[in-house]
Amino acid sequence: MRNRLRVLRAERGWSQADLAERLEVSRQSVNAIETGKFDPSLPLAFRLARLFEAPIESIFLEED
Amino acid sequence: MLCEPNIAIRRYNRRFLSSMLIYAAVLLTVVWIFKHWHPTGLAAYPLAILPALPIVVGIAVAGLYLVEEKDEFQRAIFFQSMVWGIGATLVFTTVWGFLELFAGVQHFQTYLAFPLFCAFAGIASYVLKARYR
Repeated sequence: MRNRLRVLRAERGWSQADLAERLEVSRQSVNAIETGKFDPSLPLAFRLARLFEAPIESIFLEED
Repeated sequence: MLCEPNIAIRRYNRRFLSSMLIYAAVLLTVVWIFKHWHPTGLAAYPLAILPALPIVVGIAVAGLYLVEEKDEFQRAIFFQSMVWGIGATLVFTTVWGFLELFAGVQHFQTYLAFPLFCAFAGIASYVLKARYR
């Protein structure tokens, strides 16, 4: 699934490892989600939304 | 906190390695007993089953990892590796079975199914992790 994680991360100056630490997941997990190769579960998507203080639908973009 | 490898995988590695070391020790002991004491009849059954028990523990350890792993991506990778391992083992043993039946190839010892599964699952895990690196 396409997403804006890379942009949101860059706005805060966080590396993938920084985001992984905040989410308590591995850096590989962040990379897999960010590159759209792995879709997070709803609980993890909500954690991301809380962390970035943004609605889920503004982070994850529906495919056409 | 960031843990690479995380607590769950470290715990899994430690438990699995322990069960495999116990497996090796039990197997060597049972082989020695059968070679020197030649147990037969009812006594042979529990002794013959003994090396399989650490394997059962090893499989349970894998199940425990899936329960304990909090990182859903790592859990998905592990689960997919298991599925590939099971699938490849079934394909291998089925094809080999027919080769035995019709082409007279050497008999496949079914106690080798677990090491074979581990090898396939290990390869699958490596390939899957490389895909997401």
